[in-house]
Amino acid sequence: MKKIGKPVFFIVFVLILALAYTSIFGVYGENGDFDVTYIKGINDIRWGIDINGGVEAVFAPADGIDADETQMEDVKGILDSRLVGQNITDYEVYPDYEHDRITIRFPWKSDEKDYDPDAAIAELASTSELSFKGGTESSGEVLLTGKDVKRAYATYQQGNTSSAAQYVVGLEFNDEGKEKFKTATSNYVGQQISIWMDDELLSAPTVNEAIDSGSAVITGNFTSKSATALANKINAGALPFKLVVESYGTISPSLGSNALQAMGISAIVALALICAFMLIMYRLPGFIAFIALIGQLSISIMAVSGYFTIFPSFTMTIPGIAGLILSIGMGVDANIITAERIKDELWTGKTLDGCIRNGTKGSFSAIFDGNITVIIVAVILILVFGPANILSSLFGVSTTGLIYAFGYTLLVGVISNFIMGVAASRLMLRSASGYKFLRNKKLYGGAKS
Amino acid sequence: MMRQKFHIDFVKKSKIFFCISLGIMLVCLILNLVLLPTIVDIQFTGGTIIKYNFGGEPAHTAVEKTVKDTLKGIDALKNEKVDFSYSENLAASSNDDTKHIISLQFTGNKAVSIEHKQAITDALQKEYPDNSFAEESSTAVDASKGANFFLKCIIAVIIAAVLMIFYVAIRFRKIGGLSAGVMAVVALIHDLIIVYFTFVIFRMPLNDNFIAVVLMILGYSLNDTIVIYDRVRENRRKSGPKTTTAELVNSSLNQCFTRTICTSITTIIAIGSVLVVSLIYGISSIISFALPMMIGLISGSYSSLCIAAPLWVLWKNHQAKVKAEKKKNGTSKKSKKEKKNTNDTKKAVSAEKEEDTSSED
Repeated sequence: MKKIGKPVFFIVFVLILALAYTSIFGVYGENGDFDVTYIKGINDIRWGIDINGGVEAVFAPADGIDADETQMEDVKGILDSRLVGQNITDYEVYPDYEHDRITIRFPWKSDEKDYDPDAAIAELASTSELSFKGGTESSGEVLLTGKDVKRAYATYQQGNTSSAAQYVVGLEFNDEGKEKFKTATSNYVGQQISIWMDDELLSAPTVNEAIDSGSAVITGNFTSKSATALANKINAGALPFKLVVESYGTISPSLGSNALQAMGISAIVALALICAFMLIMYRLPGFIAFIALIGQLSISIMAVSGYFTIFPSFTMTIPGIAGLILSIGMGVDANIITAERIKDELWTGKTLDGCIRNGTKGSFSAIFDGNITVIIVAVILILVFGPANILSSLFGVSTTGLIYAFGYTLLVGVISNFIMGVAASRLMLRSASGYKFLRNKKLYGGAKS
Repeated sequence: MMRQKFHIDFVKKSKIFFCISLGIMLVCLILNLVLLPTIVDIQFTGGTIIKYNFGGEPAHTAVEKTVKDTLKGIDALKNEKVDFSYSENLAASSNDDTKHIISLQFTGNKAVSIEHKQAITDALQKEYPDNSFAEESSTAVDASKGANFFLKCIIAVIIAAVLMIFYVAIRFRKIGGLSAGVMAVVALIHDLIIVYFTFVIFRMPLNDNFIAVVLMILGYSLNDTIVIYDRVRENRRKSGPKTTTAELVNSSLNQCFTRTICTSITTIIAIGSVLVVSLIYGISSIISFALPMMIGLISGSYSSLCIAAPLWVLWKNHQAKVKAEKKKNGTSKKSKKEKKNTNDTKKAVSAEKEEDTSSED
């Protein structure tokens, strides 16, 4: 066995502490009058509607249109993708075919302070028909619509003249769209084509030559956020008719306003008790297991909050917490299996290093197989209930974010278990056993050497 | 060999364990059928949500009583269960008549007719003339959506279970992985039934929380069983050919016993803290998630030790018995088999050993 240097323990320990501190409290600064978030902490997590309450709205077709069931299904599907596009995964959609109503519920956004539910609702209800029109008038000839677009994406483009780099929305046409675009651009050489989202003019470029590459970009004063939002809107597709908001309101948190506080308290109580239990049962390996557990939790929190500001926060729901608790159980379990093994080995009277080596080696297959089977479950749930929707041919496109959240936290938890509960904890154990005062076998649960 | 603190004969006692489990299930089933019908959330049953807006601050309990009293007077809705929830209309200013909203949730497939709705509205308006109750919306919730979701969950679980059996069959092929995987799934089903009955006995509606708990227990129980199988696999490698399956599994279970208990304790500590704190704060929907999870957890640990592994021993012994009988019946087959045995000594040894077990029986 390669010897692990003594300082390794402290390096890993400090790294975990730093990770825990930043993932829980975040890193914030001030830039003049503005508060700046560098790293997102627990307070930046977006809580699900079942924990923190949210918005409820009832939509109806505008102008008394009598929608049939397929149209309502289409509307529901598009609303689904729009919500997911806004990174709202914990939502509920109840279509009412009899009265042509759709009820939607979704939670508050994580940046609640400047969150405008009116705007979000309006955005959901908009038809969002993308169109390319000849000339710059909204009454111009429609050349292409959103249906001709295969994929839209936000990207960053260097300006071709002296202008600075800017965010743009790239479009990839399908075969039909490619043909249409080629015909349109050859008809309009030297003239302007305008790109519209409903009644809003996005840009009106002048055609220099016929384009047959099957792709186009929409320029405009986009930020990273607005470009992504537009791309999502185009990808989600247009509604068959305009929706009006019949009523909307807030949902008081179904768990009571102090649910989050209660959850925080229970997390601290649970960690303290687990720490005490592990120390009593397994002494030094128990202590190290606890540090690893903190590290594992930190990674899970990071994965939920997004950690870096460029990643949006994941929606945390009760099933998400269930997944987290299960992964804590798995993480502690990995350490318990190893510590028990080391104990077993110590009773055979081998040397400490040999015992640690055999113990960690012997316990790996159990941890590996247990975690992999749980990963199988997590991945299936993510595939079925997440955006991938592998069963959509059977059940239609729908995303039930609650179960998706479970799969997500579980998968993240199990992966961080391999990083922390297995790799980091073993590094720390082997490094710590290099210190003379930590070489007493009693500290590992064996008889005194 | 291994330090072994416990000497519990799990295999010999397995009949008792099976009886305990089946007994509990039977009692729960009878209770479920006779006294405590399953409560299902509106999402899965379908139903009607009626919303009223009102101004001012009438006591919620009084309003609920008025609605319930009205329902008692209507034959068709006499036995309907109604749930209440409250919210605020953001668009309305604070002293608007439409500021507050009460939702009445009728679970059950019977739609609430217009006359009955009118009766409720009349009663509310008569009782609270100053609060100007007005029907804001009434929505029928389609049960098929909920049923669809439920079905989707079941199919997802089945896919996961099949893949899991497949994985166990490959990783544990040395000890006959396919049967081990199937027994792990049997233990899972055992736990899921226990979780279901927990919801029934504690009068909690089957909703999203139920699905979350079921999935969590599925993962936990699975991991627990795999850890035990891993020890069996390892001991099979180490032990001599004379060790019977029963002995093998027993010693493995006892070696894993401390670990199983300690892991359960830490996980129970985690959920127990959530449960206790939410009991203190009175947050009922967390209670309806933490309590069944805790019971499912205990069931998960129990089923790995006392159901999956002993059941697997029974199956292995049964297999050996069938093999032995086949052997007795045809001598030609026997010679063929012996030929095969010489080719694969390892297999022969284990087959011989299993036959020993069956002859002891």
